[in-house]
Amino acid sequence: MSRRQLIIPFVLFAVLILSACAGPAPQAPAATEAARPQEPVKVGAIFDLTGATADVGTPYSEGVKGFVEWLNSKGGVEGHPIDLVSADYAYKVDQAEALYSQFVGEGVVAFMGWGTGDTEALRPRIAEDKIPFMSASYSAALTKMDEAPYNFLIGTTYSDQAIIALRWAADDWAAKGNSGKPKVAVIHHDSPFGQSPLEDAKAFADANGIGFTSLPMPRGATDYVAELAQIQQFGANYVIVHTVSSPAAVLLKNAADQGYKNSMQFILLNWCADEILINLAGAAAEGVFGALPFTPPTSPVPGHKDPDEWLKSKGSSLEAKGLHYSQGWWTMAVMTEGIRRTIQQGKPVTGENIRSGLESIQNFDTGGVTAPISFSPTSHKGNNALRMFKVENGKWVQVSDYISATP
Amino acid sequence: MVSGIYHTTYEQDMALRRTPAQKIRLVLVIVLALIFPFLASRYYLNLANQVGIAVIGAIGLNILVGYTGQISLGQGGFLAVGAYTAGILTARYGVPWWLSTPIACLMTALVGMVFGIPSLRLKGLYLAIATLAAQVIILWVVTHWKAVTGGVEALVVPAPTLFGRRVNTDFNFYWVIWGCAALVTLLTVNLFRSRFGRAFIAIRDQDIAASVMGVDLFKYKLLAFAISSFFVGLAGALTAHYRTIVTWERFTMDVSVTYLAMIIIGGLGSVTGSYFGAAFMTLLPALLTNLGRALKGTFPIVEGLIPFFQLAAFGLVIILFLIFEPEGLNKIWRDIKNYFRLWPFSY
Repeated sequence: MSRRQLIIPFVLFAVLILSACAGPAPQAPAATEAARPQEPVKVGAIFDLTGATADVGTPYSEGVKGFVEWLNSKGGVEGHPIDLVSADYAYKVDQAEALYSQFVGEGVVAFMGWGTGDTEALRPRIAEDKIPFMSASYSAALTKMDEAPYNFLIGTTYSDQAIIALRWAADDWAAKGNSGKPKVAVIHHDSPFGQSPLEDAKAFADANGIGFTSLPMPRGATDYVAELAQIQQFGANYVIVHTVSSPAAVLLKNAADQGYKNSMQFILLNWCADEILINLAGAAAEGVFGALPFTPPTSPVPGHKDPDEWLKSKGSSLEAKGLHYSQGWWTMAVMTEGIRRTIQQGKPVTGENIRSGLESIQNFDTGGVTAPISFSPTSHKGNNALRMFKVENGKWVQVSDYISATP
Repeated sequence: MVSGIYHTTYEQDMALRRTPAQKIRLVLVIVLALIFPFLASRYYLNLANQVGIAVIGAIGLNILVGYTGQISLGQGGFLAVGAYTAGILTARYGVPWWLSTPIACLMTALVGMVFGIPSLRLKGLYLAIATLAAQVIILWVVTHWKAVTGGVEALVVPAPTLFGRRVNTDFNFYWVIWGCAALVTLLTVNLFRSRFGRAFIAIRDQDIAASVMGVDLFKYKLLAFAISSFFVGLAGALTAHYRTIVTWERFTMDVSVTYLAMIIIGGLGSVTGSYFGAAFMTLLPALLTNLGRALKGTFPIVEGLIPFFQLAAFGLVIILFLIFEPEGLNKIWRDIKNYFRLWPFSY
């Protein structure tokens, strides 16, 4: 082996050794210390910027980061700036765990997660470490207080979204002058995320005499013509779609091609009802309904003002970033509200105290982006209501007031 | 000055560690492993435990792919069998964790044997597709067989205890994981000094010749699947008890690919290589993340690019290894050792 060839192994080993040495990131330089009147509050976050859900994970992460920058530019929370330590975990559970233990080791007191996988996997650890945790996974399983005592949900749960869609379908059916009850099919992502609302939706449909069936969208399928034919045979009047944007767009295009769009009314739940769907499905998206827990920027509400102004000062706009930006923004805002209450009560800023701070939140106003958020020591379900939207001329337009899953 | 290693007895030739340098290195590694947990923070313990579980899984896969030449894309599925078996036994039936772990290993070995049956007729790419079926079928069963696996909801496993003490803290579980890794290493190294191991290698090198020599192909191929899956099941079961929650998303297709990458980068057909590969693949993302965070202050643009760089780096590393060092990190390690042993008269 020549000497030159030997350089390669040495460089590789140097890299490996460095990886062992690369410790926590250095603290902020002393120069900014003078500008900070109070101790910063450390919050950890993991985002999916390169993994399976990067298309929606990226604007969500920008929203969370944008809120923190905006807040810090206004002097932080009660004078304490928020120090957001974040990294990409590529939707990999192992990396989420490594980053979580690293950030907790660095002293974060609250944690922002992202998907179903990381939220479920970290559930026991956050309860043990007493770290309040918010993510964009709205599975009803996370509202069980005994199993997930430190998880908080901002969005309406998937179960509630499906129930609201069923309730709206029944009302719409009657409003159109039809007799009896409609038949509803739920077509869903073939994963725990997709299956999550089925049981609750079926129970609601059975109790209200609504015809109900459900079928999965096979993973890796390139079209859903066969599934649509099944739905047609069942005679569904309404089809609830619970998946992510790109398969939903394919489904809508197939439905338009097959001429089903007049006989079936499509209702999309939150992870497929966004701007990405409209871009992908184009004309096929026209006239479909969406059960949206987060108001899209095309239906302006007061809660869009701050993120929009902040983005405009950076040369962008909320309309360009889409609804997932304000979803991230307001999720972080609710977490910050918990921290604010802890500081106001004069308690030390620990995970346990932030939890009780969050549990004291009643009817927190997100400026109309979501239904008002309330937590209590017995419920970490932020809300159970949302508004229905409809795609008109390539835009999500609001068509109903808040509908609650449990009137 | 040594010009080579010469053995004068069969005992020397058969020994696992043949030279004093090897023995000293082994002692050094063991001492380091023993003092590490007392010095490391929770973050490094967590990383060490992840590496340990990956080492056990990679050795298991290497027995099948590297030593027996039977390519497998079912690693994620077999990990899931181990994790769910251990999790269900402990959570539903109250079987203590130290008992449910070996049962999970046996269960995975059994499942591995079933999915190994096509290997008698199928080779190479065809076998890869057959084992891919194992991955898909196992994950489908896990996510749809509600009565047993809980289906949609994650399976919560009670925290393991021993003599009234919690075992799954990062510090305590370090000993469990690395104890298992040491045991697996010892078993595997010795396996390839036995007739079974030699039969595996004969099958890898030329299966027809092996069968002419009297190696029962079907029996030994199934045995290779069983032993490999046994260790992979151990890695899965340890994950379940360490994390106390089992979710299907930990065992997806790209886990299978990552493990294959581990043994290719580390070195096919080598136990040391499995260590290198597992450490490399687990530590590289952590290294790149920390690099990005360290550079954030100086070059703000780097932080945004690091996630993408990470993906490219993985691809690049695998391509470079295949071109320049197909025998993996283990070969590089051997070259370094040879360099120092022969220094200054290297040739």
